[in-house]
Amino acid sequence: MAAGLKTVILLSFVLAVGFLMIILSCALWSNWLPLLVALTFVVAPLPNALFAHCGGDDFSTDIGESSGPVDLGRFITAIIVVTGFALPLILAHSEIIHPGASVMSIIGGGLVYGTILAYSAAFKQDDDSEF
Amino acid sequence: MSLPRSDYDPRRVCVNPFPFLNISLGKHRRSVGVYLAGGLFGLAIWTFLDAAILSAHAHPPYNEPDYPVPVHVGFVDWLPGIHSLLGIIVINLIDKDRVRGDEGYGDSRAVWRARLFLFVGFALMAGGLAGSVALLVLKYILAGYQEQYLYYGYANVAQNVELMLSAVILWIAQSGSGEYEYNLAI
Repeated sequence: MAAGLKTVILLSFVLAVGFLMIILSCALWSNWLPLLVALTFVVAPLPNALFAHCGGDDFSTDIGESSGPVDLGRFITAIIVVTGFALPLILAHSEIIHPGASVMSIIGGGLVYGTILAYSAAFKQDDDSEF
Repeated sequence: MSLPRSDYDPRRVCVNPFPFLNISLGKHRRSVGVYLAGGLFGLAIWTFLDAAILSAHAHPPYNEPDYPVPVHVGFVDWLPGIHSLLGIIVINLIDKDRVRGDEGYGDSRAVWRARLFLFVGFALMAGGLAGSVALLVLKYILAGYQEQYLYYGYANVAQNVELMLSAVILWIAQSGSGEYEYNLAI
């Protein structure tokens, strides 16, 4: 396994920076609505993880990544990711939060979600399931 | 038994095959399509909710505080999106092998019924799209509001276009050639 201790440290650092950006975007303007972005991006990989094992059993061949529940999980994941990026923009558009808070929470959310993706890509198990 | 691997597939729905289907995304074509469809769906939801939230927080201009906000997003604006959503649900509940009309799947009346429900689903989506355009014209453009209120109508049309694109991409991604080759391999 190529990914070792340095990867873990780097990823945790990036995750901490992401959460720092989100919390700063809330605290600097004392408006705690952008904290929803962190919640959204943390929830985002959950449907994929839940539905990933509904795909195929041991008897299905390698092509068997095409089943209904797996597709549903991917669909919901994509919806939640788009929600995470769209929510700060919409809140800033309606002048509920400051535009600076919007940009900072989007960057922080992207860092958090990128960390989750990179983690599941680096420490993937032997089965060739994509995250 | 061996079927000829030609361009002509007698089971296909459309007479003209979609030309962009042959983009070689390989085995990830289906998952990329599903992700894209989900992203478009979320974008559609938030496009309209943006207009709704903006309308809920609308305030009169600062230089003339007594000027009332002329129009708000009401329940009528939600109706095209609701119809498009129902259409998406109906379309995705149909078994796609039935629509293709295989001989092995049931009788011909089942194929007929599946195509009828497919028509109902697409009619709901087209009705939602047409309703959003009608709403834009009748409620916003003909009433002569300012540009910032016309945005509510444009967002509604964009929402329905994105919902329809999402359904089309999901359909194309799920009716790929993977299962077909799998059936051939048996």
